[in-house]
Amino acid sequence: MNANEVAQLIKRYADDVKIAGVRQVFATTDKERYIEALTALRDKDLKHLTTITGVDRGDVIDIIYHVHCGESLLNLKLSVPKTDLEIETVTDIFPGATLYERELMEMLGVQVKGHPDPRRLFLSDDWPTGKFPLRKEVKK
Amino acid sequence: MTFIIPIGPQHPALEEPAHFRIEVKGEEIVGVDLRLGYNHKGIEQGLSDRSYAHGLYLSARICGICNSTHSLAFTRAVESAAGIECPDRARYIRVIDAELERIHSHLLWAGVAAHEIGFTTLFMLFWRDRELSLDMRELLFGQRIYASGTYLGGARVDINEKDIPQLIRTLNKLEKSVKHYIDVCTSDRTIIARCSGVGVLKKKDARELCAVGPTARASGVDFDIRRDDPYAAYGEIPFDVIVEQDGDVLAKVVVRLREILESIDIIRQAIDAMPKGAIRTKFPENVPENEAVGRTEAPRGELMYYVRSNGTNKPERVRIRTPSYANWPSAKPMLVGGTIAEIPIVVASIDPCYSCTDRVTIIDTETGKSRIVTKEELRRLRK
Amino acid sequence: MIEALSYALAYLVFPGILFAGAVGLLLAGIDRKLTGHMQNRIGPPIWQEFLDVGKLFGKEDITPAAANSFVFNCAPLLCFGAIMAVMLLLPINSSQPVLTSVGDLIVIIYLLNIPAVCMMLAGYASGCPFGTIGSSRYVVQLFGYELAFIIAALAAAANVGWSLSLSSIVSYQAQNGWMVSQVALIPAAIAILIAAQGKLLRTPFDIPEAESEIVHGSLTEYSGPKLAILRIAYDIELFVVAAVITVLFFGGPVPHTIGGIYIPGVVSFLIKCFGIVVLSTVIRNIAARLRIDQALKFFWTFPTLLAAISLFLVVVT
Repeated sequence: MNANEVAQLIKRYADDVKIAGVRQVFATTDKERYIEALTALRDKDLKHLTTITGVDRGDVIDIIYHVHCGESLLNLKLSVPKTDLEIETVTDIFPGATLYERELMEMLGVQVKGHPDPRRLFLSDDWPTGKFPLRKEVKK
Repeated sequence: MTFIIPIGPQHPALEEPAHFRIEVKGEEIVGVDLRLGYNHKGIEQGLSDRSYAHGLYLSARICGICNSTHSLAFTRAVESAAGIECPDRARYIRVIDAELERIHSHLLWAGVAAHEIGFTTLFMLFWRDRELSLDMRELLFGQRIYASGTYLGGARVDINEKDIPQLIRTLNKLEKSVKHYIDVCTSDRTIIARCSGVGVLKKKDARELCAVGPTARASGVDFDIRRDDPYAAYGEIPFDVIVEQDGDVLAKVVVRLREILESIDIIRQAIDAMPKGAIRTKFPENVPENEAVGRTEAPRGELMYYVRSNGTNKPERVRIRTPSYANWPSAKPMLVGGTIAEIPIVVASIDPCYSCTDRVTIIDTETGKSRIVTKEELRRLRK
Repeated sequence: MIEALSYALAYLVFPGILFAGAVGLLLAGIDRKLTGHMQNRIGPPIWQEFLDVGKLFGKEDITPAAANSFVFNCAPLLCFGAIMAVMLLLPINSSQPVLTSVGDLIVIIYLLNIPAVCMMLAGYASGCPFGTIGSSRYVVQLFGYELAFIIAALAAAANVGWSLSLSSIVSYQAQNGWMVSQVALIPAAIAILIAAQGKLLRTPFDIPEAESEIVHGSLTEYSGPKLAILRIAYDIELFVVAAVITVLFFGGPVPHTIGGIYIPGVVSFLIKCFGIVVLSTVIRNIAARLRIDQALKFFWTFPTLLAAISLFLVVVT
C-alpha cells in the first residue's frame, strides 16, 4: 500500500495525518483507538511491525509504532502522560513485538499490560527497579 | 528428564557473548531461553549527547560488519529531518559503499557458518576470499573494516577513476569464486546433510515474528528495503531480490551467496552510471525541529533509525532498531524440536550481531557514570 | 636379567614410549602442516605437537571441584598405558612383536577400546554438561565404528585360515604379497579405513569432540599435564591404528627391494603408516562434521556392509 492509501486507511483511527517525503506517513492516535488502528492494519495483511519507539518529552511519553506497509512506512504516535503510564500489549496483533515492549518497560518504565514475558531484556539483574535509563530526569 | 545446557556467555560457537539456556531431553531441544545484554555500550543515550557530526561516527561504531549501513541510515534520517538532499554522485558512492559491505558481511558469515558445521577447510577458503572484498574497501575508502563512506550531506571520499580497473578485476575474481561456492554448498553431501531441513522457519512464523533480511527471504517473505523503500541510488539500478521457499539453513546459505552475486552486479552498474559532480552539499549545524525515519537494508535485514531533532545541533532522541534485534524471536521456533548439534549452525543462520542488539546503557544515577556489568557480578547475583 | 632389561628397553625406547611418542607426535604435526596447506595457509611447523605438549606439561594441574577426582585423574594414565601396551603387541621390526606369548588380534582390539572407554568415563566424571554430552555421543559412535572395524579385521584373519595371531598374518603377507592385492579383501580395507576415521575421532566423525558445539566434549575440563598425557595418547593412537591397519592389510614390516635399494622392514612399515595418515588427513579436510544419528546410520550401512561382503567372499572362496 502506498502512502496515500495508508493515510486514507488510518484517518478513521488517528488525527493529524501527515505525509512526509514520498513514503512516510505520520499520524497521532490515542489510547482508545490505537488497538483498533493496529488491528485494522493487520487485517489488511500488513503484518510487519518494524519497531516500537519510546520518547520522553517531559510530562508525556510518546510511544510510536512503526508499521511497514509495503511501499510506505506508517509511524503511529500515542502520547501517554507520565501520571498514567499504562498501555495494552500488542503482542496478540503483532507477535514480533515482544522484545520491543520489554525494552519499553525497562528503559522508560511504561507498564505494558498483558505482556506474556515481562522480564528485563538488556539491563542487568542488579539494576535497581524504578530507575529508567532513557528518562529525561536521568540524563545529566 | 530434561537437562539444561548453557551456551555462552563464553562458547566457541559464539563470536560475542550471549547466554542461551537450552533445555534438552537426550539430544532433542525442548526449550530455549535467551539472555542478551552482555554488550551494553550506551549508544542510544550517547547519540543524544553528541552533535550530529559526532553521532555519525558513533553510529558507525555500533557494529564492525555493518558500519556503512548504520551511518547511512543515520544520515538518511537526519537529512530527512533537515530537508537536505545529497548530490547525485554521492548517492551512487553510497550504493557502492553499502554493496561492498554486503559482500564482506556475507563472506564473513559464510566462513563462520562453515566453521559451525565443522568444515574448517571451507571456513578458511571463504575467509581467503573475504580478503578480496576487504582489499576493495581499502582501495576505495581507505579502510578495511570501518570504511563508512557516508557523510552528512554527501559522501566522505570520492572514487578515483584510476582505481576502477582494479576494482573491476577484483570483482570478477570474486564472482568466479562465489559461483564455485554456490555449487559446492548445494552439492556437497556432508553440507547438505547438516544444513538441509535444519532450523526451518515457516513463512507464517517469519511474517508474524517480523523477521527481516535473508532470514525472512529464505522463508519466502519477499521483503527488501532497497526495493520497497528505495534510498541512495537504488531506485535507478535494477536488481533482483533473492527469495527461497524452504526456510532451512541451506536456503539461508543460498540466499546470502546469491546476494553476493547480485551485489557485484549492482556495483558494476553503479560504476557505469555514476554521474560526475560534487560529492557533498552544505549541511546545517542545527537541524530544525522535526522527526524522521531512515531505513536501509543492512546485510542482516531492515535497519531503522528514528531521529527527533529539536533545533539544536544535538538530536533529542535517536532510536535504533537493528536487524539482529528483530530476528531474535525467530530463533525460538527454529531451535525447538531440533538437536544439540544444530544449535551453533541455526543460531548462526540468523546472522546475529550481538553488538548491534545490545546498544543500551547502564547509567549509575548516583554518580552519573556509566559502567558495564561484568560477568563476575552477574554470576554473583544469580546465587 | 637380560630378558627383563630387554623388555624394559623395548617398553621405554623401541618400540615403546620414546619411539611411539616421537613418531606419533611427528605424524600429528605433519597432519597439521598438510591441513594448513590444504586450507591455503602455511600451517604450523611439523614439530609443533612437541612444543604444544611441552607447554602443557608446564601448566598448573587442576581438578575441578565438581569432578569425581579418582576417575578424572586415572583416565589419562589408563589411556596412555593401554595404547603403549598395543605398541608392544604389534610386529614392527619383524614378524615377531616384542611380547610374543601374550596377545593376538582380539587382545589388540580390546586394548584399542580402552582409551575410548576411559574417555567416556572421564567425560561423565568431569562434572560439566559438555562432558556428559560428549561421552554419550562417544558411546553411540563406538557402537557405530567398532562393528565395521571388527568385521574387517576378522576378514583379514579369516584369509589366513582363521589364525588370530598377527605374526602369522605378517608371515602370510611376506609370502603371498599384501592382503589388499587379493580382490576379496579390498572392501574390507576400505571399510577399516573408514572405521578408523571414526575411531580416531577425525572429521567427519569428530562428533564427540565437536569444538563448535560442545567446547571439547569429554576433554573439556582437562588442562595442564593431564591434557598433555591425553594429547600424547591421542597422537600415539593415530600411529597405532594406522599400524594395525598396515599389519592387517598392507603387509606390515615386510622388507622390500625397490630398484636395487634395500628398504628394511621398519622403514617400509613407517612409510605405509605415513600413507594411511595422509589419507586420513585428506578425508578430514574435505568433509563437514556429521550429526551423531547420521554418523550411526552411515556406519551401520556403508562400512559394515563392505566388511561383511569381504568376510563372506573370504569364507566362501
